[in-house]
Amino acid sequence: MTSPLPRLPRLPPLPWLSARDRLADAARRLFLDRQARFWLRALDPLLDPSGLRARVRRVVEETADVRTFVLEPGPGWRGHRAGQHTTIEVPIDGVLTRRCYSISRAPGALAITVKRVPGGRVSGWLHDHLHAGAVIGLSPAAGDFVLPEPLPPRPLFLTAGSGITPALAMLEELARRDALGGATLVHHARSREDVIARGWLEGLAREHAGFRLVPLLDDAPDGPPGFEPQRFRALVPDFAERATFLCGPPGLMTRVEALYASAGASGRLRRERFVAARPAVSAPSAAARVRLARSGQTVTLEGPGSLLEQLERAGVRPEHGCRMGICLSCRCEKLAGVTRDHDTGATSEEPEPIRLCVSTACSDLELDL
Amino acid sequence: MTPSSPRLNELQLAALARELDAIEAEARADLGEADLAHIRRVMRVAFVAEVAGRGLLAFGVDPLSFVLGTGALTLSKILENMEIGHNVMHGQYDWSRDPELDSRAYEWDIVSPSASWRHAHNFEHHTYTNVLGRDRDLGYNLVRVSAEQPWNPGYLVQPLTALGLGLFFEWGVALHDLRLEELRSGESSPREVWARARPFLRKAGWQLGKDYVFFPLLAGPNAPRVLLGNHLANLGRNLWAFAVIFCGHFPEGAEVFPEADLEDESRGHWYLRQLTGSANIEGGRAMHLLSGHLSHQIEHHLFPTVPAWRYPEMARKVREVCARWGLPYNTAPLGTQLRSVARKLLRHALPTRPRRPEPEPTAAEAPTPARPPIAA
Repeated sequence: MTSPLPRLPRLPPLPWLSARDRLADAARRLFLDRQARFWLRALDPLLDPSGLRARVRRVVEETADVRTFVLEPGPGWRGHRAGQHTTIEVPIDGVLTRRCYSISRAPGALAITVKRVPGGRVSGWLHDHLHAGAVIGLSPAAGDFVLPEPLPPRPLFLTAGSGITPALAMLEELARRDALGGATLVHHARSREDVIARGWLEGLAREHAGFRLVPLLDDAPDGPPGFEPQRFRALVPDFAERATFLCGPPGLMTRVEALYASAGASGRLRRERFVAARPAVSAPSAAARVRLARSGQTVTLEGPGSLLEQLERAGVRPEHGCRMGICLSCRCEKLAGVTRDHDTGATSEEPEPIRLCVSTACSDLELDL
Repeated sequence: MTPSSPRLNELQLAALARELDAIEAEARADLGEADLAHIRRVMRVAFVAEVAGRGLLAFGVDPLSFVLGTGALTLSKILENMEIGHNVMHGQYDWSRDPELDSRAYEWDIVSPSASWRHAHNFEHHTYTNVLGRDRDLGYNLVRVSAEQPWNPGYLVQPLTALGLGLFFEWGVALHDLRLEELRSGESSPREVWARARPFLRKAGWQLGKDYVFFPLLAGPNAPRVLLGNHLANLGRNLWAFAVIFCGHFPEGAEVFPEADLEDESRGHWYLRQLTGSANIEGGRAMHLLSGHLSHQIEHHLFPTVPAWRYPEMARKVREVCARWGLPYNTAPLGTQLRSVARKLLRHALPTRPRRPEPEPTAAEAPTPARPPIAA
């Protein structure tokens, strides 16, 4: 059980790719690749061949705590569908940090809309430090929270807070294709001032006769709970027959999911979670389970010591060296979970390489072992 | 208490470790944009110097452009190996998550493949620094730098051996990482040695192809000129790296340690071994940068994963700690350290005998200036 599985032999390259691969390999071995990267980047950071980049064109104040960053992507950008998201990468105190945001514009334009989360490291940094002209990393658009083709006749959007952002892109797309008639947006916000893109939405409602905008405001006299079943049924009596797009905080999602299930309409509901499910974070060294991705086995960590010592006690023998954090022999990719590095004192929440000999688990983990 | 550190007991060593840990923690808490700005600036200089050097060699016709081109290429290779490659592969910038500064992904412009060097260097040398029989960088199995290394007549010519090692240092390092001697001792089977040799042969082939075939051919009629310039740049870089590294652990005063020291070694004793087994080179900013800050070999061995450009600042605090604890802090200008290494190489070419360890000093004697090292 404990011996590492043999690595699969490398498959021969596909014949029609090999010429290009060989060239890239030769460039790397002659150190021409990093020269090329350096000069292209000097010419224009958007041309960086090591990954997609985008330049911030404009920063728009949407509400007191929400900003839209209008982006100009580099030539590698393959476009997106309304409702998809992208992962941006920014250097916070020099540390490349990633966050996923819905794209808030229809295809043809690119923007992300970010709410400043109280105490949020990334959203706070974006608000304070990301200005027009800055260049950030970007992943290709992804996600299946999109408008189906052909377009549904009377789509229903249920959103709350910054969960409205993918809906904004979809509404823009519908308006552009003159298919907004019959659409309804039920949006929950704290107050009228907190409704993102309120001016634009009200303009849409004026211009497109069939578009219904239903704001649910905490401070309204007849205010929420807006997605409370009875009230919601009164607001949108035919909800169970409409293609529905739901995006909001977990509480709202659960409530609406239950509502659609009880109406036998779960099949009509499309969802986008914008708060990633966080692993349960505990104090270091509590018993955690570790899934070893390469061998497929799962072990439980027990007793004191570093991850390396705990893994060894569990019968796993990862490659290692100095056991004091200096030689990096035990550095291994952490695929999921939270760990703490006792050498640097840093907590690692994202997938990244960690040094097993100076780290402890703060949650269940998945390691590339 | 171990034979080579009779001056501090375990309690004192623990206190010393706390002080040095605090210096590291302070530097670590400050890591950020400034460190990246530094390493990217050095990379920029190295990239530009490489292009300028290769361009001058390929397109120039006069001796001046040959000298300038060779100089620029040498500078680029030195920066790439010393300040960029060595330090990135120590994981000094891993915290930034920048894929170009990732210790595992970085490959350097030298015949030794990064992966095998990382193991030999980061683990064996940095963990077992100057421990006889464990640190294979101690004399690189080619030269005798301490009386504790058993003598054989081959060492009589070691001044010449050292000169050859200097000129072909990158090859010496690569062969050293192959551990060919384990073939004779039976520790490695021919198969295992072959498995280690393959990546080396592959890399070496590309390295030779790059500097001795590809770039010369690109220059057409200027091929001989480019070939000579490339070769001189490699030699220059080799000699420089050799000089810096030999000054790091082998000047007079740098101690060697018996293997018994490793048994249940405390963090404090590990620190002490790094401190007394290393030596610094004094000099200005250029000296520090061109040596990849190995001019602060002591700080590098105490804090190998802290970005090296912070060593000069950390050195002030380390020296203060050493002064307070009465510990030796071996530092001198390059010329002095080189002469010191040369004297040692000459002396130990002959069958010198280890000096007996001194009797342990009493507590009253404790904070005396540098005690004669056991490996004088």
